[in-house]
Formats: sequence, structure tokens, C-alpha cells
Amino acid sequence: MYGGGNTFEATKAEDLEQEDAVKLAEFEARIAQGEKIEPDDWMPRLYRMQLIRMIEQHAHSEIIGALPEGTWITRAPGFRRKLALMAKVQDEVGHAQLLYSAAETLGKSREEMLTDLINGKSKYSNVFNYPTYTWADSCIISWLIDAGAIVNQMANSKGSYGPYCRALERICAEEAFHLKYGHDSVVFMATGSPAQRQMVQEALNRWWSQIMTFFGPSDKLSVHTETLMRWKVKMASNDECRQQYLDMYVPKIREIGLTIPDPHLHKNEQTGQWEYTEPDWEEFRKVINGDGPCNAERLGVRRMAEERGAWVRLALKNPTAKYVRPLA
Amino acid sequence: MSLKSLDPRINRMNLPDGELPPMEPKAAFDQFETFEVFARKRDKTPFTYAGPVHAPNADVAFLFAKEQYSRRSACSGLWVVLTRHIMVSPYANDDENIYDSFEVEIPEDTTWPLESYEVFHLKKRGKAHTHVGRIGATSYQEAYHKAKAAFAAEHPAVNMWVVKSKNVLQSAEEDRDMWLTLPEKKYREPAAYKVLDRIKKFKEEEEQKALTK
Ligand SMILES: [Fe+2]
Ligand SMILES: [Fe+2]
Repeated sequence: MYGGGNTFEATKAEDLEQEDAVKLAEFEARIAQGEKIEPDDWMPRLYRMQLIRMIEQHAHSEIIGALPEGTWITRAPGFRRKLALMAKVQDEVGHAQLLYSAAETLGKSREEMLTDLINGKSKYSNVFNYPTYTWADSCIISWLIDAGAIVNQMANSKGSYGPYCRALERICAEEAFHLKYGHDSVVFMATGSPAQRQMVQEALNRWWSQIMTFFGPSDKLSVHTETLMRWKVKMASNDECRQQYLDMYVPKIREIGLTIPDPHLHKNEQTGQWEYTEPDWEEFRKVINGDGPCNAERLGVRRMAEERGAWVRLALKNPTAKYVRPLA
Repeated sequence: MSLKSLDPRINRMNLPDGELPPMEPKAAFDQFETFEVFARKRDKTPFTYAGPVHAPNADVAFLFAKEQYSRRSACSGLWVVLTRHIMVSPYANDDENIYDSFEVEIPEDTTWPLESYEVFHLKKRGKAHTHVGRIGATSYQEAYHKAKAAFAAEHPAVNMWVVKSKNVLQSAEEDRDMWLTLPEKKYREPAAYKVLDRIKKFKEEEEQKALTK
């Protein structure tokens, strides 16, 4: 993945009072007991809408995320790295497949999701609206963006919705390779020649602010957030994820002699919390709403793939097909 | 004007630049029907639910399933079933057995001969359905009753699926060499990367440099 980066477009707060009180109580009791929700179960509208939005965004992030990395496959240094990067990108596309199916169990078809992606109606992780200038950028993504995705996915895999948990279990297992591969390619450059060191340092400088916005802005503490946490849809706040990430990766970045381009970044020993320069959330808002360096290219490439592949799908279409959503 | 990219291949595509009119919504079945996939890790382990795929027919579904569900982990067999061929029971709570609370009536007009059905159980919500066995019956309903008699006590379940064996596309024994591709692709395993050795060496060299200064 690359999920996370929760966007500002909030689901309209549904009025829980309009839900069947008895069913709602049963639903909440099931979650409180640690039982998973399966697609056939009754669920509040807010739960369904929020999960569709989350899982769909996560799926879009996987296929769009494959673009800035995929662009480096032909130029990856050496046969082995080409093979590894190709396998990683294929994994990411596979993650999208798994996630689209999980979202489909909640009642939104793949056709609708793909249409909404291309028409800019649903979002994907904002970090992929930035370009990969050099090979080192692709290494930084493989390591440090995937690392952020893993923090998110590990948290979400303990959520309450069965199909999402099943998909995430498979995804997390595959991500272990991405993280190791990414770490290895960054370490290789950081411990290499002065030119290689400089190249990877510059890529880190370019990507650091994207990394800091990856988990999204601080959650506004609303009743809504509290409900979603109680329902195990949202498993950790954006700030909690960011803090956990900094705890895990700041030392790993520093130990290979790289400098994090934020002079204010430090851990406050009293509070145990990382303090940092607040990322530019104005820019984040602007880019996520379409005005970033690569938004047009990402959606343009996706749309081209849709349109140029349409005749193949049409030729294969089965006129006797009947739609049934995936079972689980 | 065409869209400018850092990637020369994208520049060669001559994609239009600027605002485009929205794409027409994709038509129904542009993404095909859904199939459910079951995979077996080793010869002796039961077939277990892996997940869905979308495909125009069972053969293509099998190819997609192989890519999606056997590409990265051990596999010695795949079953593929059109989703609408699976009969699904309601879901029970985790501490209940679905066979205790769910009743179906056997239709009167069922005819011989017996057909073979595959039965899958979900042990706990959030886990995956596992194949528990095969039974002969004249209808899905009768299959449910026979499954209850045969498996309910030994394998309690929160949910059960039943499907006619003839509707399951199964990988063939004689094709088993198709599962042997994993070992050549060690670069997809985290263990293939000896990154800690490199970091250690780097730190030692840095220390040396500091000392000689
Ligand atoms: Fe992924
Ligand atoms: Fe990944």
C-alpha cells in the first residue's frame, strides 16, 4: 500500500439515531467482544460508507503507487534490481486487486471505483502526486513510503471488518520483502561512493515532507472519530501513526549517515513525543485536490490504460454473466 | 500540447494535457464476473479460501488466481468456483455452531442420481473457509443436511459454503510442476537481503575514519 494520508473529504456524519437501535447494539456488542463483522451482517450506514471509502482509497493508492516506481524498472541498476523491483510493483498491483474485492463486498462495484478514480472523485495517497527524479527517489519510496504503509496496514489489520483483515494479512506478508528490498537499496547508496551518497541524500530531502504528511493531518477530535475508533474502523490516530513511524525509522535513517532535512526534528524526552516542523498542510490540501506536480500524469496514464484496454474487455465480455459480489 | 513527464515512455504516448471531459462511467461487467479461489499449501493440507478474482470465464479465472494467490507463497493446488455457484448459510456468532440454529427444508421433487458436493467451513469470523469434505446429495438442501450429520460435531462452524463438485475447476495432478517456480525467485524473500552486514561494515569504517583523523 500505500493507504493512509487520510484526506479532508469527510464522510457526511450519518445520524446514528436513524439506525435500528437493537441492531446497532448487537453490532457494537459483537465488535466489543472482538468478533469480526462479515459482509452479510447488518451494519450501520456510517460503518459501510467509511470502510468503502478507506478500502477503496487504499486500493487506488496501490495501483497509482505502482506508477512512480514502475517507471524505474527499465532503468534500475542491474538485472537483480530490475527483477526485484518488477516483483515489488507486481505485488502492489496485486494488493489493489485484493482491496478492490474487499471494498466490493460492501456493495460498491469495481466499475464504479475505477470510474471514480479516473474522474478524480475518489482519492489516493497524496505522496504519489510527486515525481521520482532519480533512481534514488524510487529507493526512498520503496523503503520509507512502504514503511509508512506498513505502519498503517498493521494497525488496520486488527480492525473489525473480516474481508479487509483477510486482504491485509496477505498484503502485510508481502510487504516484508518491500521493506527489506527498499532498505537494502537505500543502504547500498548511502554507504557507497560520494556521488551515490549525495544522490540518495537529495532524494531524502525531496521526499521528507511527503513522508511527514503521509499519515494525514492531526485528527480533529470529533464524535465521529470516536465512533469509528469504537467500531474498529480507525485503529490509531494519524498522530499516533506518525509518532510510531518516527520512533522506528529516524534512527535507521541516521545510522547510515543520512541527514533528515528538518533542523527541529527531535524527541522531547519529557513527553516521549517527537517534535518537528509542521508540514505545509496548505500545499497538501492543494495537491490532494488536484493541483500537484504529477496529478494529471498519474490519472492520464491510468485513463489511457483503461481506454486502450477497453476493446479486450469488450471482446471477452460474457453476455450471460450475472453479477454477484465476492463472498468474503 | 501533450502531457510532459520525466519518463520518456510517457512522453511518447502523447497523452492529452489539460482538463479532460470526465470519462463515461464504466459499463456493467467491464470487470467481469466474480469467482472464489481456494488454495492448498501442501499436498496433505485442506483447500482453504484464498479470495476472489474477476474473470470472463473459469479458465482465465484460474490463470488470474494462480498469479494472485500462488505467486508469493507455497501452493500445491488451486480450486476456482464461480461465486454464484456457491450456496451460503447465514453467519452465527463465534461461540455458536451454525448447524444448531439454521434449518432448511429438503425440496420434495428432488430426483436421483446423487451428485457430489464440496463443503467448506468457517471456524471463526475473520478467518478463511476450509474444505471439510465431500458428500453425495440430490439438492443443495439435502447436501446441507448431510453436511450437518457428517461434519457439524467434529468441525463446528460459524458459516458453511456448499458447491457442486462439477462446478469446481480444479488444478490437475499431471500439471503439478506448475507449482515449482517459487525457489527460483529468492529475491522476493526478505531473507535475501543482507542489509545489516552492510550497515555494520559502514559503521566500522566510519569509526576507523574518526580514529585516524
Ligand atoms: Fe502494497
Ligand atoms: Fe509495498
